[in-house]
Amino acid sequence: MLPKLEYSSPKTLEELFEVLEKYQEKAKILAGGTDLLVSLRDRVEKARHLVDIKKIKELDRLEYRKGEGLIIGATVTLRRILESQLIREKYPVLWEAVKTIGDVILKNRATLVGNICNASPAADSAPALLVLEANVRIVSKEGSREVPIDKFFTGVKKTILRSGEVVKEVVVPEPPSNSFGRYLKMMRVWSEDLAIVGVAGLGYREGRELRVRLAYSSVAPTPLRIREAEEAFTRDGTMEERIERAVQVASQRVSPISDVRGSAEYRLNLVKVLTRRLLKQMVEVV
Amino acid sequence: MEKKKITFKINGVEKTVEVAPNKTLLWLIREELKLKGTKKACERGDCGLCTVLLNGEPVKSCLVLAVEVDGSEIVTVEGLSRDGELTELQKAFIEHGALQCGFCTPAFLIVGHWLINRNPRPSKEEVVEALNGLLCRCTGYRPIIEAILSVSKAKK
Repeated sequence: MLPKLEYSSPKTLEELFEVLEKYQEKAKILAGGTDLLVSLRDRVEKARHLVDIKKIKELDRLEYRKGEGLIIGATVTLRRILESQLIREKYPVLWEAVKTIGDVILKNRATLVGNICNASPAADSAPALLVLEANVRIVSKEGSREVPIDKFFTGVKKTILRSGEVVKEVVVPEPPSNSFGRYLKMMRVWSEDLAIVGVAGLGYREGRELRVRLAYSSVAPTPLRIREAEEAFTRDGTMEERIERAVQVASQRVSPISDVRGSAEYRLNLVKVLTRRLLKQMVEVV
Repeated sequence: MEKKKITFKINGVEKTVEVAPNKTLLWLIREELKLKGTKKACERGDCGLCTVLLNGEPVKSCLVLAVEVDGSEIVTVEGLSRDGELTELQKAFIEHGALQCGFCTPAFLIVGHWLINRNPRPSKEEVVEALNGLLCRCTGYRPIIEAILSVSKAKK
């Protein structure tokens, strides 16, 4: 049973801001509802006024603009992202990450913006957005601001969003040319589960030098980009030494917990295994 | 809690009802409209047994609010057959023994119909992928997959 609720479905951003102002922290945005309704049922979520944003046309945007990048509106479903051949080719790390979220049926409702606003440490789209250096466009009655995704998450299920603010869209800039992106996710079963550990990687050439970006899910209170590991890979040495240095640094920066999906020790080991696997692939492909 | 008036089509029939905002689409189907083919089990989007078509696409009806379906079209397992005649897929489920206790069967039929409609000749991998949000605890999935594939081949 869901708790007692109120519901509204504004058609414009202005109407949305009015509702948010009226209900403040009692209001919660409803898009796909695949996380929110479960949290309400479990009484984890305390909000009691749901604001359905699916009728707001402006939030439905999924488009790519050369130079600016990819814009993913707040109500764009995971299904639409997967069906985009452009995203599959230009942003493979994002496409692969989205592919692993939930199942085919959930993807008809679940949204990418919902995945980041829910701010689970296990949010699969987050590591991909971190290595792609995406920005989050936030709007409110007062105006708008744009925040890099690595400043967006502040804790387990916590973001920088303030009362009255809404994520309008995520903007994913052009990836470096000839880059290679992958998301490796370890699950208990092959079809559908939260990540025990997930690793997103982006490899590209800067001049002749191979550069990498690394970000993780399910290893810390928030999805985490580990720049120190990226830098450790960049320094001198044989390719094998560079990979092992990055693996060591990455494993020192994570702080995994034990839960139903795996122990902290197992997660720590997976961080090493998956980081090594990913870096080897990048060395081969990029 | 103020009730909202919603109008929608279910299995081709237009309905207008008043619902409280905390009721799910699953509740609307089973308790308000008394269509018991759609099953209630985990109520948290894991098992998929409450899956129905909403505007032609499968959704887990325990994760959709009834108030969200205002103006929409819904198809449940009761809406698949025409004039008492089972569909090819329903017949194939019987022929392949693709059910045992039958509790999950409505959801598999809904997703099977959706898949065959949009992709008349799916590969085995595509069938498996489409079904990965649904749980069956008795037959195993093999006869279900074979039933769906047999219909896709029949459409050659």
